[in-house]
Amino acid sequence: MENITATNPFREGLTTRRVAEPCALVIFGATGDLTGRKLLPAIYNLAHEGLLPAGFAIIGFARRAKSTEQFRAELREAVVAGSRFQPINEAVWNALAQGIYYLPGDYKNPADFATLDQLLQVVDRERGTAGNRLFYMATPPGQFAEIISSLGAAGLNRPTSRLVIEKPFGRSLETARELNRSLTQVFAESQIYRIDHYLGKETVQNILVLRFANEIFEHLWNQKYVDHVQMTVAETLGVEARGGYYDQSGALRDMVQNHMMQLLALVAMEPPTSLEAEVIRDEKVKVLRAIRPIPLEQVSQFAVRGQYMRGSQAGKLVPGYLEEKDVPASSRTETFVAMKLFIDNWRWAGVPFYLRHGKRLPKRAAEIAIQFKSPPAVLFAAECAAPLETNVLVIRLQPDEGISIRMNAKVPGNAVNIQPVKMEFRYGGSFGARSPDAYERLLYDAITADSTLFIRGDEAERSWQIMDSLLTGWQTAPKPFDYEAGTWGPAEAEAFITQDGRQWRRP
Amino acid sequence: MAPTVTNSLESFAAGAETAVDVAQIERQLAELWQLAAESDTAAVTRACLFNLVAICDTEAARDRATETIRIVTSRHPCRAIVLLAQPAATTDELAASITAHCHLAGGGGKQVCCEQISIHATGRSVAQLAGAVLPLLESDLPTINWWLGDFLETPLLFRRLCGVADRVFFDTSTWPAAPARLVQLAAAMNEQRQCVFCDLSWTRLEFWRRMTAEMFDPPECAAEVSRLQSAEIIYGDGPGAQLRAWLYGGWLATQLGWSAPDAVARLTFEQREEPDTSGCGITMVTIRSAAAQFIVRKNYGEQVASTVVHMPDACGLPRKRAFWPTDDAALLSQELDAMRRDSLYARVLALTVELTAAARS
Repeated sequence: MENITATNPFREGLTTRRVAEPCALVIFGATGDLTGRKLLPAIYNLAHEGLLPAGFAIIGFARRAKSTEQFRAELREAVVAGSRFQPINEAVWNALAQGIYYLPGDYKNPADFATLDQLLQVVDRERGTAGNRLFYMATPPGQFAEIISSLGAAGLNRPTSRLVIEKPFGRSLETARELNRSLTQVFAESQIYRIDHYLGKETVQNILVLRFANEIFEHLWNQKYVDHVQMTVAETLGVEARGGYYDQSGALRDMVQNHMMQLLALVAMEPPTSLEAEVIRDEKVKVLRAIRPIPLEQVSQFAVRGQYMRGSQAGKLVPGYLEEKDVPASSRTETFVAMKLFIDNWRWAGVPFYLRHGKRLPKRAAEIAIQFKSPPAVLFAAECAAPLETNVLVIRLQPDEGISIRMNAKVPGNAVNIQPVKMEFRYGGSFGARSPDAYERLLYDAITADSTLFIRGDEAERSWQIMDSLLTGWQTAPKPFDYEAGTWGPAEAEAFITQDGRQWRRP
Repeated sequence: MAPTVTNSLESFAAGAETAVDVAQIERQLAELWQLAAESDTAAVTRACLFNLVAICDTEAARDRATETIRIVTSRHPCRAIVLLAQPAATTDELAASITAHCHLAGGGGKQVCCEQISIHATGRSVAQLAGAVLPLLESDLPTINWWLGDFLETPLLFRRLCGVADRVFFDTSTWPAAPARLVQLAAAMNEQRQCVFCDLSWTRLEFWRRMTAEMFDPPECAAEVSRLQSAEIIYGDGPGAQLRAWLYGGWLATQLGWSAPDAVARLTFEQREEPDTSGCGITMVTIRSAAAQFIVRKNYGEQVASTVVHMPDACGLPRKRAFWPTDDAALLSQELDAMRRDSLYARVLALTVELTAAARS
């Protein structure tokens, strides 16, 4: 899309982000949970911030029959409940609501897509959207293929259109390739925006700033100084009402393959030559390609999986996974994964990356810890009874987003006693501003055709390629190890890391 | 902890002012923060991203600065140093006090606090102000001088404080004789090139600049930019309205590459009675080419401006936008968010100087 600041001299020096060009957002699955809970509050917030053009339009497309008025009323309720601006501004809502339409239709019916095309042409004329369209797939993944095919058949895949799809981007390498094939048969890769809401988080975006806008870190960011990297995404919740879905998915597919692999890529990638979307994505793919494949026969040496049993959390008894609604009693689906990856490139040779994710763990936390090597024990070994603690740089994604560094300091007094101390930076403390929701940032980027924070097809495939050997290996392996809800996973996960002479962090 | 010590910490964190000896300011603050760190009752974190030195010449300005700092620190934690300089006073005194601005941080009920140091200098003690401020600046953090009055009135203090400042915030709207001062302002900016100068009156204009820019985003309108011939700027009453109209005109001309004589010939300024200053003084702008008119106007009786494009084949709906808040806290926050080096202002100012000279002659 043309950079309008280059042709408009009046844009020079404006501190505010540019307003998106008039655009029609078509939401498939518009009556679903995602639309009301995430998409509409985010869109309203963008409108409230003045970032949407007057000609912005939303077309809800779903199977359920309802009128545009009914749809607008439901969306208004969703915005009232979910916007970060309270109370909502009626003038902003009314202006936005004027551009909201609803079209009931079947995802396979060509006639319904012809009607959609006609409506979009009317919107183009009335609201000046000029063919600039964003198709958002807020449906279950099983419906992606038929919608995409119908869009193509109706000729709605013009170069000025973009397509946003939600994860999962397949459930194995084969299905990911299949999905990519069906997407790219209709849309060019540059038109496809695979959304991972983790990439919209402020702290995740800050990883690149921390690494490449600070001279002190990048020199240490390699195998010479880093002992290992630990990435933890811990959830206290169980599968809640999603037992049926989760049992088909599991921890590896639900969290590790997408969110955690994206985090790993951002932490481990080489400096990009620019901040352009393709340049950054190229670097991420290079890292993913450098990850050492896990041989099928060595899966148990590289990964441990677990399944939570009944236990207690915050003083309350919680059911085990097999007792959850819609979960088969014989399920072998993992709710916990701990794994080790190596990146075989010059920077990271020999440095293990430990990834850990689980449900029903004691604490909700997501962090990336860069564990540095020990300093030579020549100076203080005699004075200190215990070995010196190593330096750790922790990037906390949730809760309480921030960065901390652990270092050693002398305890005040006559003796040379050394203790680890922590320096902390907290987003909430240093910047009072509330961060926009991840969807807000990602939707704005999709509307303005900036694909930097979206996953490219080859990234998704490469990530699946790494996971595939685990998934295949687990098919014939014994069932996952049990762990009690409210603990940090199975005992085998502890043994998994201690055998390397290391320990899991307690986030 | 002894109850009296807890009380002094709590009253400090609650925003009560504590008189201190100027030489003891750092020590007193250090003691209070140490108490906060050791306290098991007050969940307080000190945060500081920059030094903000507010320079005031009246008590009313000092109160305004304190109130603004209280609001701004919720988003931009800093060490605030508020100076009240009253050289005309008959006594020579230097008095100081400290207080804190605390705000609840997200989650956990923890308070994030910033300290404010206030120094009041009267008579000949004003000469000691800069010397009192320099040791109080937090090291390794940017320093922003915020002048609530006309800094050209106190050139010595201005120069000394500029020596340690990275940025200078000021508001020509509050200068009694601003148009005549623009030449001196440009000279002062030229002399202190190490500082980034930021006129909050220019910041107020961002709304009008943005509305204008948005009209030229569509390609068919952008193509008309090189064909623009003239502009009419209508402004009303209110502090700085006339100067802002000139600044706006200077900006249009700068961005269109018009020379000063060209700008004088192509721009017309008209003052009309309009007591509502929510549009920061400007009420309507019409920019013309041979084939088109681009209009931004303040809607009568509304806190809203709208744009209209009269041009064959131009697309897009008329755009309406509510005026942004333009109080001190909002403007400071806007500038602190961006922390930009805006070279455009200096260029616009140079052209505006010539426009105002032509208007006066």
